[in-house]
Amino acid sequence: MTEPLLQIQQVSKSYYHKTGWFRGRRTLALEPISFALQAGETLAIMGETGSGKSTLAKIIAGVEVPSSGQVLLRGEVLEPHNYRQRCKHIRMIFQDSLRSLNLQTSIGQQLLEPLRFNTALDPQEQQQKVIATLRQVGLLPEHFNFYPHMLSSGQQQRVCIARAIILEPQIIVADEAFVALDPSIRAQIINLILDLQEDMGISFIFISHSAEIVKHVADKILIMHHGKLVEFGTTEALLSNPQQQLTKLLLGVE
Amino acid sequence: MNILDIRNLTIEIDGDNGPIRLVDKLSLQIAEGEIHTLVGESGSGKSLLAKAILGFINPRWRVTADRLWWRHYDLLALNPEQRRVVTGRDMAMIFQNPGSYLDPNASIGAQLQECIPSGDLKGLYLRRRADRKTRAERLLHRVGIKDHDAVMQAYPFELSDGVAQKVSIAMAIAHNPKLLIADEPTTAMEPQTRSQIYRLLSKLNASQGMSVLMITQDLTAIMPETKRISMVYCGQLMEVGTPQQLLEQPLHPYTEAMLSMSLANHNTPVKTRLPTLGGSIPTMANLPIGCRLGPRCQHARRACIDTPRLRKLKQHQFACHYPLIEVKNYD
Ligand SMILES: Nc1ncnc2c1ncn2[C@@H]1O[C@H](COP(=O)(O)OP(=O)(O)OP(=O)(O)O)[C@@H](O)[C@H]1O
Ligand SMILES: Nc1ncnc2c1ncn2[C@@H]1O[C@H](COP(=O)(O)OP(=O)(O)OP(=O)(O)O)[C@@H](O)[C@H]1O
Ligand SMILES: [Mg+2]
Ligand SMILES: [Mg+2]
Repeated sequence: MTEPLLQIQQVSKSYYHKTGWFRGRRTLALEPISFALQAGETLAIMGETGSGKSTLAKIIAGVEVPSSGQVLLRGEVLEPHNYRQRCKHIRMIFQDSLRSLNLQTSIGQQLLEPLRFNTALDPQEQQQKVIATLRQVGLLPEHFNFYPHMLSSGQQQRVCIARAIILEPQIIVADEAFVALDPSIRAQIINLILDLQEDMGISFIFISHSAEIVKHVADKILIMHHGKLVEFGTTEALLSNPQQQLTKLLLGVE
Repeated sequence: MNILDIRNLTIEIDGDNGPIRLVDKLSLQIAEGEIHTLVGESGSGKSLLAKAILGFINPRWRVTADRLWWRHYDLLALNPEQRRVVTGRDMAMIFQNPGSYLDPNASIGAQLQECIPSGDLKGLYLRRRADRKTRAERLLHRVGIKDHDAVMQAYPFELSDGVAQKVSIAMAIAHNPKLLIADEPTTAMEPQTRSQIYRLLSKLNASQGMSVLMITQDLTAIMPETKRISMVYCGQLMEVGTPQQLLEQPLHPYTEAMLSMSLANHNTPVKTRLPTLGGSIPTMANLPIGCRLGPRCQHARRACIDTPRLRKLKQHQFACHYPLIEVKNYD
């Protein structure tokens, strides 16, 4: 048995919010959760709103610090906030694309930046790589000089996807990355991810409400409810023999 | 009776080589109490059209129209102040990225209470304050938020995205608008919650005659009560008709392509490549002349370099020189 690519061990998260001088409110967004993922596998996370899906995804990507537990990549503990260590290996696509883009710089510059800091490509190769990636996500070379506000929501989302794949990471974490995409572009992005998996063995973790997409691409599914993992298994197992009522509802099986 | 009547709306900006038409002669009519769905690929100008109706357009852009009437108001003839009064009173919009439209510095409770019109409140100062709070709570219940205290105290960054969408729906319906423009309002929700929101909107539609302009990208996931659908591509109107007409007998190649791409209709085996529409939507600086679908359309021929006129076959309208089935007797 090979060592899993990613291990989540007893990870939990609670938010503390001060409401007065001595009083505060604690939200337990994520109860201790553990699972593992092999290289090249695709994991879908499903659940109702507020069930802690984004919190889990952010912890895996290192954007949020867990209150307890740890994340291991190939058996090595990932330090939260060690971006140099992470960003080459794990990239995240956020749910709210507009808020995760820098509004002051052009699309091209935003995509060049990770290449400049993390690769040994010369400027011309960097430029070519950016243009090739723009094409991969269904944008055009002309979009290089656009600013985020000149793009529609779906186009902004595709810039975020481009930024995530441009460094060819080992794991891509996508929080509802398909919602602002129309069927044609969505199919194109799904094909792209399937290709990346085939060519480079990328693991893909994604949050989605769409049972159709999940059934099409996921190897494993994780169901969350009120911050708890309620069911976890292979797609076939969850489709043929779901244990929870919620699983049946979310996957649309009787 | 149409309460919203838009004829040939055009939005132009200045580009490096002359003006660029972001929206090209779009027409849209919404009858009183109608639920209308606007469908189109990403980047086809849906959000721009919605903002143009409300007047939230960069003042340097040129918005022209043969007609832009809301009830008995000619919106283009009003000055900005009058227009704000009319649209603020009668219309409401749910924006596409609700998180970015909520004020990050104020609690949800404060922002929601501000949306409740003062005229509706009863009693004197303290009573009014209490009344405002109860109404805000009731609004949250209606959009399916049970834990109203926690949400009212929270700041926008603390909300999960689905809850943020529910809050922005609550804000939009707070002053009982006559027209609700909803730009992809349920994308962060799972199907059960989405149908709950759809039920709420159709209830408001039935009980208060609220018209709805729903904006979405997926032709097969429209609100069930939709009366008519408008298909747009790249700022041009392609086809208008009832869901039955468009889903069962589309006349425009674009509608057919959108239908065939939908995940609900595909039957490719798992983990294999899905069909896509070749090419991508052009940037506004490099638009094809005539029908903008031309370069991506399988049926395109010589004539397509002239923009097709919107033709009408009973209630079914289409803008295509070569409709999918032989159409006679249109006007
Ligand atoms: N920064 C924060 N401060 C306080 N509470 C937070 C914060 N971020 C999230 N929460 C709370 O944690 C819980 C889980 O949120 P999370 O965003 O993970 O949900 P989600 O499953 O992604 O939901 P959705 O599908 O709506 O995006 C929610 O109750 C939310 O209010
Ligand atoms: N300031 C601008 N300068 C140039 N082009 C712009 C500008 N603002 C918007 N556009 C272009 O207008 C087009 C329509 O944008 P809009 O946001 O209306 O699309 P949409 O139909 O809402 O798409 P989505 O479904 O992805 O939200 C896009 O192609 C966008 O690039
Ligand atoms: Mg989320
Ligand atoms: Mg939009």
